[in-house]
Amino acid sequence: MSFDPFDRPSRRSLLALAAATGALASLPAFTATAAPRRPDSAPTIDGGSRQELWWQAPADDHSMIEQGLPVGNGRIGALASNDPGRELLLITDATMWTGGLNDSLDGDGQFPYDREHFGSLTLLARLAVDIPDHDLSAVSRYRRALDLARGVVTSSYVRSGVTYERQVFASRPDDAIVVHFTQSGGGRYTGTVTLEGTHGETTAGASSFGGAFPGGLRYGAAVAAYGSGGRVSVSGSRISFTDCKDLTVVVSGGTNYAPDASHHYRDPSLDPEQLARTKVRAAASHSADTLLRSHVADYRSLFGKLDVSLGTSSETQRSLDTWERVRARALDSAPDPELEAAYLQFGRYLMISGSRGSLPMGLQGLWLDGNDPDWMGDYHTDINIQMNYWMADRAGLSQCFDALTDYCVAQLPSWTELTRTLFNDSRNRYRNSSGKIAGWTVAISTNPHGGGGWWWHPAGNAWLCNTLWEHYEYTLSRSHLEKIYPLLKGACAFWEARLLPYTLADSGREVLIADSDWSPEQGPLDAKGITYAQELVWALFANFRTASAELGKDTGYAKTIAGLQERLYLPQVSPKTGWLEEWMSPDNLGETTHRHLSPLIGLFPGDRIRPDGSTPSDIVDGATALLTARGMNSFGWANAWRSLCWSRLKNAEKAYQLVATNLHPSTDGSNGTAFNLFDIYEVEQGRGIFQIDANFGTPAAMIEMLLYSRPGHLELLPALPDAWAESGSITGVGVRGGFVVDLSWRDGKPTEARVRSVGGRTTTVEFAGSSRTVSLKPGGSVTLRDFAR
Amino acid sequence: MRSSSSFVLPVRTLRAAAVLAVAVGFATVAPIAHAGPTAGTPAGQVHRAVAAADAAGGQEQAAKPYMGWSSWSMQSSKYPGLNPDGDYSYLTEANVLKQTDALAAKLKQFGYEYVNIDAGWWRDNAWKPEFDAYARQTPDPVRFPNGMKSVADHIHARGLKAGIYLPVGLEKEAYGDGKTPIKDAPGCTTADIVYGDLRTTNGWDSAYKLDFSRPCAEKYIDSQARMLADWGYDFLKLDGVGPGSGKSGDQYDNVADVAAWQKAIAATGRPIHFELSWSLDRGHAADWKKYSNGWRIDTDVECYCNTLVSWENSVDDRFDDAPAWSRLAGPGGWNDLDSLDVGNGAMDGLTKAERQTYATLWAISKSPLYTGDDLTRLDSYGLSLLTNREVIAVDQNATPAARPVTPADAQQVWAAENADGSYTVALFNLADAPAAVTADWAALGFTGKASVRDLWNHENLGTYKNKVTEALPAHGSRLFTVTPRGGALTATAYEAEAPANTLGGNASIADCSACSGAHKVGNLYLGGTLRFNDIVVPKAGMYTVKIAYVSGDARSAAVSVNGGGATSHKFPSTGDWGTAETVSVPLTLKAGANTITIDSGESGYAPDIDRIDVPKTSS
Repeated sequence: MSFDPFDRPSRRSLLALAAATGALASLPAFTATAAPRRPDSAPTIDGGSRQELWWQAPADDHSMIEQGLPVGNGRIGALASNDPGRELLLITDATMWTGGLNDSLDGDGQFPYDREHFGSLTLLARLAVDIPDHDLSAVSRYRRALDLARGVVTSSYVRSGVTYERQVFASRPDDAIVVHFTQSGGGRYTGTVTLEGTHGETTAGASSFGGAFPGGLRYGAAVAAYGSGGRVSVSGSRISFTDCKDLTVVVSGGTNYAPDASHHYRDPSLDPEQLARTKVRAAASHSADTLLRSHVADYRSLFGKLDVSLGTSSETQRSLDTWERVRARALDSAPDPELEAAYLQFGRYLMISGSRGSLPMGLQGLWLDGNDPDWMGDYHTDINIQMNYWMADRAGLSQCFDALTDYCVAQLPSWTELTRTLFNDSRNRYRNSSGKIAGWTVAISTNPHGGGGWWWHPAGNAWLCNTLWEHYEYTLSRSHLEKIYPLLKGACAFWEARLLPYTLADSGREVLIADSDWSPEQGPLDAKGITYAQELVWALFANFRTASAELGKDTGYAKTIAGLQERLYLPQVSPKTGWLEEWMSPDNLGETTHRHLSPLIGLFPGDRIRPDGSTPSDIVDGATALLTARGMNSFGWANAWRSLCWSRLKNAEKAYQLVATNLHPSTDGSNGTAFNLFDIYEVEQGRGIFQIDANFGTPAAMIEMLLYSRPGHLELLPALPDAWAESGSITGVGVRGGFVVDLSWRDGKPTEARVRSVGGRTTTVEFAGSSRTVSLKPGGSVTLRDFAR
Repeated sequence: MRSSSSFVLPVRTLRAAAVLAVAVGFATVAPIAHAGPTAGTPAGQVHRAVAAADAAGGQEQAAKPYMGWSSWSMQSSKYPGLNPDGDYSYLTEANVLKQTDALAAKLKQFGYEYVNIDAGWWRDNAWKPEFDAYARQTPDPVRFPNGMKSVADHIHARGLKAGIYLPVGLEKEAYGDGKTPIKDAPGCTTADIVYGDLRTTNGWDSAYKLDFSRPCAEKYIDSQARMLADWGYDFLKLDGVGPGSGKSGDQYDNVADVAAWQKAIAATGRPIHFELSWSLDRGHAADWKKYSNGWRIDTDVECYCNTLVSWENSVDDRFDDAPAWSRLAGPGGWNDLDSLDVGNGAMDGLTKAERQTYATLWAISKSPLYTGDDLTRLDSYGLSLLTNREVIAVDQNATPAARPVTPADAQQVWAAENADGSYTVALFNLADAPAAVTADWAALGFTGKASVRDLWNHENLGTYKNKVTEALPAHGSRLFTVTPRGGALTATAYEAEAPANTLGGNASIADCSACSGAHKVGNLYLGGTLRFNDIVVPKAGMYTVKIAYVSGDARSAAVSVNGGGATSHKFPSTGDWGTAETVSVPLTLKAGANTITIDSGESGYAPDIDRIDVPKTSS
């Protein structure tokens, strides 16, 4: 998107803009930006060391995914090595995807899943700033930090008595990544800047390159360098700098991707290399300090929306660097509340850095170390992309959610077309056995070219819709509702065509069940009425009915959907296992400790299953038994999901234990947290990969432990663990129903809760079984105290 | 054929040694004290005692680790162009003279003086050996058209020393029909020097084992030694020696050969440095020390690949293998870590960081410093590594070989105390990614402030309190001189055998003359545990706890505090089961009473534990 973040239109004018253009999503992702606002002074920021992650070692070429530090402006991102002798940036653009529409099914009626046809997220460029005299083995007192409060990566070291400092940040106002080198003590910088593509481009000059994929996507990047006190010049394929007192390197780039199915997701008029050159030239006309101030002001506008304290850490803990601290936390099994709060904020940093104005984040967000990320770094629609965005609204980052909405809206025409033409292919085992087809659905993997990969995923449409719907519940944004309404309606149409009548043997009741499907990603491939689909469709129908009523549209069709919803089969508890059934069967047809919690989707993210007496106790017990059986030790995202479920069941200690498990240091590729706090997924023994979902799912779980909400109801400290009980606070938490809450507590009990309306009018506020009702006008707020134990 | 380099080298005169010491900026310092840990001596000092030498030829020979060049690295490499006439064909007179001239021009002024011809000088390019009429190796006329003396003369003319090589035993091809006479030994033929059953020996079984119960055998050695002395060689590497060289058992026990060589060399009247190779058996260290001037502790450093060496094959092995030998290095006899191939990054096959680390370990281990690089093609970084006078001084000065003061984990610290009370401290990051490495002053035995000098970079880094932490690249290192400005560390000792401790599994108390209190806790295997109870500290914090232990091989144990998570550490070998050493680990203790547990793990074998020392202040 091209909104100027410093001159953000009010909601009303935004709506007007949307109405006027009617085509927000058709703007290209890489586009000219309005002139940035330049703040006069740097903002004063408190929070101090709590908001800083720091380390005592850099990354190198071979350890970027675990030791590189991420920066990003929501569109382009990079991993930075911070090596004194070689600052290496691996730069990715969210749209830097190979592949295409991928609309020729394989022999099994499923989508090809490869890097050529389906495609993969890949690197845009490598930028290296080499300073040969600053070899890591020759410097001392090395330190690097990620300043979460300002969104800046810094590093410093001493070489021959001179202190050298470096800043790396990705600016949204200037749409570029900036590396700024300074020193104090009479030092000089001499070295080279090298910008290279990663797809075998033949670079003509030192300052930019361009290329194109077979699928037609064009891309390009450009760099500019400027300094003082020395010389900066182009020499061959590099930029040389000699004896500079300070140096600034600005890099930008992008593609001609356009989120517009009607133009096959390309903007043929856009020359990415030329645009990148224009952008770096514009940025380079400003001092690095000016660029930094503009960036920090922009970044603060989002980061500052939430603050959190989970308690006080010990002096010993505070004396450790972040990686030592992660290891010590696991070793001592001792809570480190400040580290845990920083981990939450790191998730918010990644969200702000990775999801603004372009495509949403897939399995790795904007951070790759090569062109062959596992599972293509794609959009997995059977948990991962949804989990990526569970945190956004809760954590004051509703704006970051928009990338997901815009993506789905832009893909809808293509998804609809592929569903119409391909879903009922006779080879597709998941086709509608009725032969009917309507609406849209997706594959388990999706790309940004309108295509799917791997297997069909019939219920994926419902989960995407329910995720988009939740954003509406948080924000009550009517424009958002209007944007997603066609998605909801199309998904309802798909299920209207797909549901099968079925007579229950025991009661003789006629119900509707989902056609043959696979409960992600285990068990039989041809199970009808899987709980996953039944729950998702049940919620989809409910959401559509509310949307229809809100917008005053399709009243008749909403009644039809209501009729279908009433007839939907909902899962029961297996008399054999005591678990909520996954396959409409009393038997356990899969792995007991499987990573996915698909049959518990009604517990979280759904909330049909509630432990508050409104759900039959046998269902709650069956869900609890199933969750227990799934175990406490899985992959990062799977632990995060478990934590959220335990939080919903108000089991604070289990919810916390799973958070703690995710904070375990990853060694030799094991599941856990890497040096740079990225979550590592152990693909096989000894090989771990970065998967970003747990970096968002875990913070979501932490917030869910502090605050539960659904429209009209919120509950304070529903699952507060002992580790955080002594005292703490969190401000700026988004809650469903259209409110934002600031909450503080002491000795496990709320001391104060401030509820602000961002559109919501009435909600109950509950703590420990007693509740009160709050009524507010939009914009109004109330502060509650004196909570009963 | 896997060989290892060895060098013949004349005894260095005291005068020459003094000149060298001045050249590297260090005064010659006499050995300080005798002996490593002995009965009743608590282990736990950073290595500072220099073992007295009683090697062959006396202490004046190999007073310091020798320095020079060896041919084998280039001979053994498949690096393009090095061996155009077949494997190992690099070894020729022309190449040796070329390297001699380069050594004289570039490195001699830094103390490098030996030019060592390795295996193959008596073999043609098909590796077929050639012998004289007395069953002695004779130079291949293609490789050395002017014979071996001419080469030595050229080397000497450049002010350098000449080294040569032989395998141990009577090479099979030299046996002939058993009737080949032995030079200057009337009545002796090859049949009279070996065992009647022609049993083979050496690391490749390429020779018949000499039978020293037969007087003729010694005569054969005498004749070889005489020949080398006559040619003017100053250094002999005897290769394939056992026990070692991958072999054990009587058939491969070459102690008698080595003794005979020592005697034969002495009889020539020519000072010849006598080096043994390879992977010599640690259990026979006293023999090697008695009869030779140095012994290869490990397999070849060369990779036999497209470069000279590689990190994994096998530079990094030395970190595990050197500690068992460190106390044995001293004037007269040194632990030989093999060639130091750091002079040309592309040929070496190593990163800059790996090359510095390689040189650092060699220097602190007091290993001979002989490069196998092409001295005509040193790159500027390689030259700077090979000619860093401060680092060369670490190798050549009177400070004993450094030992690990931390466990042998991915990040480790080695140290030795210098004569002036400062410490030589090396930081290593053996991990495949950059990492911070910390040297705690408490692990060196003092506390407070210390000044730090960076030897590789010739810089004083300033004052550091309690510890120094530096970022090291993957496989990287730092080498410092740390000069304490604070006080001695005071610690409370907790004996492993104390009744207050809790033993689990098979763990039991045993006698230990090398241990404090003359006891230790052993049998820590397959679930054996030792828990120190009631470790009292006044203040919560990180404490650098020193663990004294005995372990004849490198073993791992898990260390935990107060029943919390355990950290597995690898304890470097102490060399044998009668020697105690210490390493320090950082442990987070709470104020008041704590427990510290050392656990073998369910399937592991842990070292025997002598004692732990808990500082009275946190670090």
